[in-house]
Amino acid sequence: MAILLVPACILILGLLVGPLCLMFRISLNELGPTQLMVEALSADNYVRAATDPYYQQIVLTTLGVALLCTAITLVIAFPAAYWLGRVENRWKSVVLIATLFPLLVGNVVRSAGWMALLDRDGLINWGLARLGLIAHPLQLMYTPKAVVFGIIAVVLPYMIITVSSVIESIPLQLEEAAANLGASPIVVFRRVVLPLALPGVAAGCTLVFVLCMNTYATAVLLGGPRFKMMAPAVYDQFIRSNNWPMGAALAFILLLFTMAFTVLGSLGFARRYGKVPRGPSERLAPA
Amino acid sequence: MSEEALRGLVSSRSMSRGFPRLGRFIFAECVAGAYLLVFAPVAMIVLISFFAQEIVSFPANGLTLHWYANAWARPEFSRGLLTSVQVAMATTAIGVPLGVAAAIPLVRSRFPAKAGINVLLLAPLALPGVVTGAGIYMMYVAAENVLDTDIKGTMVGLVAAHTMLTIPWTVRLVVASLQGLDEAIEEAAANLGAGPFTVFRRITLPMMRPGIVAAAMFSFIQSFENLDLTLLLVGPGRITLPVAMLNYLEFRMDPTLAAVATAQIVLVGALMLVTDRFVKLSRIV
Repeated sequence: MAILLVPACILILGLLVGPLCLMFRISLNELGPTQLMVEALSADNYVRAATDPYYQQIVLTTLGVALLCTAITLVIAFPAAYWLGRVENRWKSVVLIATLFPLLVGNVVRSAGWMALLDRDGLINWGLARLGLIAHPLQLMYTPKAVVFGIIAVVLPYMIITVSSVIESIPLQLEEAAANLGASPIVVFRRVVLPLALPGVAAGCTLVFVLCMNTYATAVLLGGPRFKMMAPAVYDQFIRSNNWPMGAALAFILLLFTMAFTVLGSLGFARRYGKVPRGPSERLAPA
Repeated sequence: MSEEALRGLVSSRSMSRGFPRLGRFIFAECVAGAYLLVFAPVAMIVLISFFAQEIVSFPANGLTLHWYANAWARPEFSRGLLTSVQVAMATTAIGVPLGVAAAIPLVRSRFPAKAGINVLLLAPLALPGVVTGAGIYMMYVAAENVLDTDIKGTMVGLVAAHTMLTIPWTVRLVVASLQGLDEAIEEAAANLGAGPFTVFRRITLPMMRPGIVAAAMFSFIQSFENLDLTLLLVGPGRITLPVAMLNYLEFRMDPTLAAVATAQIVLVGALMLVTDRFVKLSRIV
């Protein structure tokens, strides 16, 4: 029966593992004087990515944006996740579908929506002007703030779904018992709900952080051409600069970050809680 | 969603005890705020697509359906839509059988390196799309040089890459539906004289149906809306809808683009609702 696995495995070996190996090999090549790739075995591209201020800036921006977005997302998502985890059954499917729907609509569409909101003549500037709060339109588009908000809106549903799945598994009686014994809602949250929800929080943060690091559409459309994150930088190296070795090296660095954070995230709470809770993407399909 | 409605939705048991009025109010506002942040851009796009003026501004100078016709008249969008639908259909038609075939032994048989193969089959979901896309791009170009034929920017190239991307969804969803399946039912059918093929066709397959239907929906949507992996793999004359939209948006955002985006929103929404009639999405997700 195991032979049934062969086609799917060949496809993934051929179109994922193979290309990534090729990419690693190409990242060790060099760019010749005529802008053509020259076979080599050097770590020059990695050294450049680590030392050249231009690339350093890209990596730091990406990490900074990802960290900030993850922190804000967690704070915004927690009440919604609690609500979704405790919502009555007949509403559950409606709310879940509503949470899932924006995820499936696609990042380009949602970034376009933010452009209509944040533009000089967009809804926010119009609204603020109508209320008399501003005399001139604010420059909201093509700012790091716009990117941060855009990314948060994109990743929020992932965090909500991941955290709510853990909250669902916390027996309500625990909260009621704490409340009966005199704990205020804030104490119940801090001493009962939050500690028990931590595995979900950790899983959600890991997933969201990785998604933020890999943002493409939101960064390009809301950040403008001067705002550089890693995924757009990889694309630029291939299409605009035609520098495959550097592009491959940047892509590999992004891949390593992604894998490192995923592994760290799961190891971190595996050690603490004995087992790895169902991850966020796994949450999209129960094991 | 209004605060009243929110309060009504929250189980009274969980909230009424101990939560003061103000606390409950703040909580409801926080929940509404989170969903507002997620839905505001989607709602905005739909709204803008009906505005009469060509440049996005508020308020509307009137409402029109003109931009939908305009969007369809632009070749990059009409052909983009066609390309995306074709790629997504082919991806679903190839990827779902491959994923289902792989899911069966993962649940039902023992073989060496099972954990490793499981990781391999789920890997495309965990790796960044731009990175994977860049790798496939270089491999396609290398293969083109060897084989002397076009791969990048062709239907075959796009469908192959998208199929790889959708395998994890199918495997995961079908594994989940198979794990809930009682093997005794299949054994009973075999005892009553059904051959292995009949057992599969009459018992196993129908019981996997919810997983397969959901897998088909996720595969289609995943392929249809994919941008990151596709970016480097499109070619002249064969550009998918999300890439066409991105290219357009780098120059301007207008009601024509909003009309295209609204069409995509409606398509995804309709697919989710239709799928939900066959299998309860909330039970799968």
